[in-house]
Amino acid sequence: MTAAEIFDQGYRRFDGERAGIVSSVRSVVWYTTKSMLGIGRKGRHKVFPVIIAMIAFLPTVIIFGIVALFGDVSNGIRPDYYEFLGPSESFGFLIFAHFLYAVAVAPEAIVRDRRDGMVALYMSTPLTRWTYLIAKTVAVAGTMAIVVLGPALLLLLGYTIQGQGPDGFGDWFLVFAKLLLGGLIIVITYCGVSLGISSLTDRRAFASVAVLLVLLGGSIVAGTLVEELEMSSKYLVFDPLGSPFESAIRLFGDTSNGPAGAVSDLSVTVGVIGWILAGFGVLVGRYRKLSVI
Amino acid sequence: MSGSVGFVGAVRLTLRVVVRQLLTRGRALALVVLGAFLALLSFAVGSSDRVEDPIEDGVRLLDLAGFTLLVPVVALVFAAASLGDLREDRTLVYLWLRPIGRAPVVIGAWLGSIIISLPFTLPALVLSGVLLDAGSDVVVAAAAATCVGVVAYTAVFVLLGLLVRNAVIWGVGYVLMWEGLIAQFGAATARAAIRGYTRSILASITDVELNLGELSLMSGIAGALIITMTALVLAVVRLGAMEID
Amino acid sequence: MSNLPPPPSSPASQPPPPTADAVAVAGIAKPIEGPVMVEAAGVTKSFGNVVAVSDVTFQVGAGVTALLGPNGAGKSTLFRMLCGLTPPTRGTVRVLGRDARREKVVRGRIGLAPQQDALFDRLTAHEFVRFAGETHALSGAALDAAVAESLSHVELVDQTTKIVGSFSKGMRQRVKLAAALVNDPDVLILDEPLTGLDPVQRNRMIDLFHDLAERGKCILVSSHVLDEVARLGSNVLVISQGRLAASGDYRALRELMDDRPHRIRLRTDEPRRVAAALIERGVADSVEVASTAVVASTVDVDRFGREAAPIAVEHGAQLNELVPLDDDLESVFRYLVERRR
Repeated sequence: MTAAEIFDQGYRRFDGERAGIVSSVRSVVWYTTKSMLGIGRKGRHKVFPVIIAMIAFLPTVIIFGIVALFGDVSNGIRPDYYEFLGPSESFGFLIFAHFLYAVAVAPEAIVRDRRDGMVALYMSTPLTRWTYLIAKTVAVAGTMAIVVLGPALLLLLGYTIQGQGPDGFGDWFLVFAKLLLGGLIIVITYCGVSLGISSLTDRRAFASVAVLLVLLGGSIVAGTLVEELEMSSKYLVFDPLGSPFESAIRLFGDTSNGPAGAVSDLSVTVGVIGWILAGFGVLVGRYRKLSVI
Repeated sequence: MSGSVGFVGAVRLTLRVVVRQLLTRGRALALVVLGAFLALLSFAVGSSDRVEDPIEDGVRLLDLAGFTLLVPVVALVFAAASLGDLREDRTLVYLWLRPIGRAPVVIGAWLGSIIISLPFTLPALVLSGVLLDAGSDVVVAAAAATCVGVVAYTAVFVLLGLLVRNAVIWGVGYVLMWEGLIAQFGAATARAAIRGYTRSILASITDVELNLGELSLMSGIAGALIITMTALVLAVVRLGAMEID
Repeated sequence: MSNLPPPPSSPASQPPPPTADAVAVAGIAKPIEGPVMVEAAGVTKSFGNVVAVSDVTFQVGAGVTALLGPNGAGKSTLFRMLCGLTPPTRGTVRVLGRDARREKVVRGRIGLAPQQDALFDRLTAHEFVRFAGETHALSGAALDAAVAESLSHVELVDQTTKIVGSFSKGMRQRVKLAAALVNDPDVLILDEPLTGLDPVQRNRMIDLFHDLAERGKCILVSSHVLDEVARLGSNVLVISQGRLAASGDYRALRELMDDRPHRIRLRTDEPRRVAAALIERGVADSVEVASTAVVASTVDVDRFGREAAPIAVEHGAQLNELVPLDDDLESVFRYLVERRR
């Protein structure tokens, strides 16, 4: 017998069923969603999602309460569906839910992976950096849609059950489609800005501060230019907080009462598309250059 | 064999290491840009002939951009990290397991945060005050409110850094939720928000009416100092009671 | 200046014999020579439902004592409690008779090298160790001398420009050790101190620990690398699943483990004949036979020692060697730890 021997076991191939790229994406979406919402994590990770959900669904709960107590809601106090999508005059505080989500929760989706070196691990799976980013965007947009669209769709459902919803299937579907589209515009804009900025730093805290500064700072700058300096209200398209909501209102044929109401539909659309492109542009540009190993 | 370190010596040591650890080029650059932006905006408002009431509009701009955003964010970035980063990096042990009391460590971290935060806020706000071209009262008010704001916010955020992990995220939540939303509900809740006091200082020096900023100058300063002292005492208690990694 | 008991710095000032009686732990008597410097009494630490350390009692005096246990056994938690970094859920810990969590004077006489690879990354090695010295109230020429000496112990004297953030793991480990040594502590608590060091540096550190021990310092070193511990000294505290499994000299511990057979190797020219005779006489419980040796298992080592040679002679065999196989630390450790599982 020789003194030592290595038994070549060879590389053992995985012979089971391969679930494919769709399954990888689904898996990333699911675990990112869980991580952002604090599911399966300690209590402190759940605080922000819970606060955000409370703010977002508060007006819906109040309206449902009124409807349950007083039955028919008179037209005078009945809010329009789209008011629940964002910072309308009656429910301005809803912006805090969206804002808080973009600032405190969304950066979690991609920043931690880079800091912990998880991106390299993901890249060793069937995922490419682009399918990885798609999965992350779907996860962030999906959870954000619950916050942005949830209250409005719940209101529509509640009215419909009460028999006070839109007349006929055609109208109902139109309202539903507009809500969906309006909500998605808001979600995609905030999601793009938040992910774009988050891709620039490996520290979640700095990502949050930067998102806060861009969203709130952009809003303050645009507001000052138009309201204090009485410059053209077109500059309001530089407001990343207000412009997506303004475009959602436009879908319902309305405009907001402030100076933003004077901006043309085209400008509002260009402004929103600009923010979306800027956000996702930074995200894609950053990940194109990212060395993953 | 070593004895124990005196109070002032311990404050100085903590301050030195905190300043050294906090001041990174990235942070400095980002915050200088932020301050410059505010100054630029003030210049635009100050040089515009469309502004109806330069003092009122100028003070509102300072309140919104300076005291809702710049001062709390700069204080948060540095103060929450002062002891919070040491705790998360697990280097706090090098200050904790020493013949040093708890109070000088907290005071040192707080003073360090003030020393770094002021250069990123005071020049920007004083410059904004000047560029607004709305009289010396606005400049004095901006300077006074900045100093008081930095002193109070840094104390609160040093405490926050000792209370929670990811203190900056929680601090952002605090600035948005408490200072931005809940403190708007009424005079009573505004008393528990630093912004109520910085606003009062701005309003009382410039005679501009600001929502929930109706306290006198002295009450504004005293209120902020009470919050500061309370936060520092709690931070000392917390540092003594916490578990160190 | 503190009114703590003086460290046993020289034989001349050696205080009267043991202040503590022999302490029985896990059924093993372990007398302490000299004064008790570190003491844990009924110490338990729980994190929620997880009990990290359970009812641990021991006393340690001057010298090197190794805290030995597998990963996750509770070694670091025990060290953190000794330093006051975390309070015990139950029981008391004392260093030099004091509670380090409450009394800052005693913190000045502890040197801790924590397990984590955490330093002030923006300082140079020299600045970091100097900072450690200053936080221990050193100043002036005494500080300069202490910093230079600590850095020379770890061979980092020339590191005055590069920040520690750019150091390799081994260098960072040495910086940590230098900082722990700078105040010439009476009690040195070192959590996995040799991790990341190369063999030459390890030897140097082990020699340093022995030097310090001879000067009357109490040195507690945790490790899960048995070779390291065996070279650090024979005094061990074995911790497993949060409980103290044993304490004392590991060779003495092995002697006490009578409920498990000892393995002994005999080299002989007639292994088959000797093996058969050992079994026949009831001296060995089992045997393994190789071409020139027999490995026998026995619970009665004394009888085996007395009778093995005569048996070999009786059967005309030449006995070349008789070696106990598991008197080493590893067998002690495996036995104590596995018994707990």
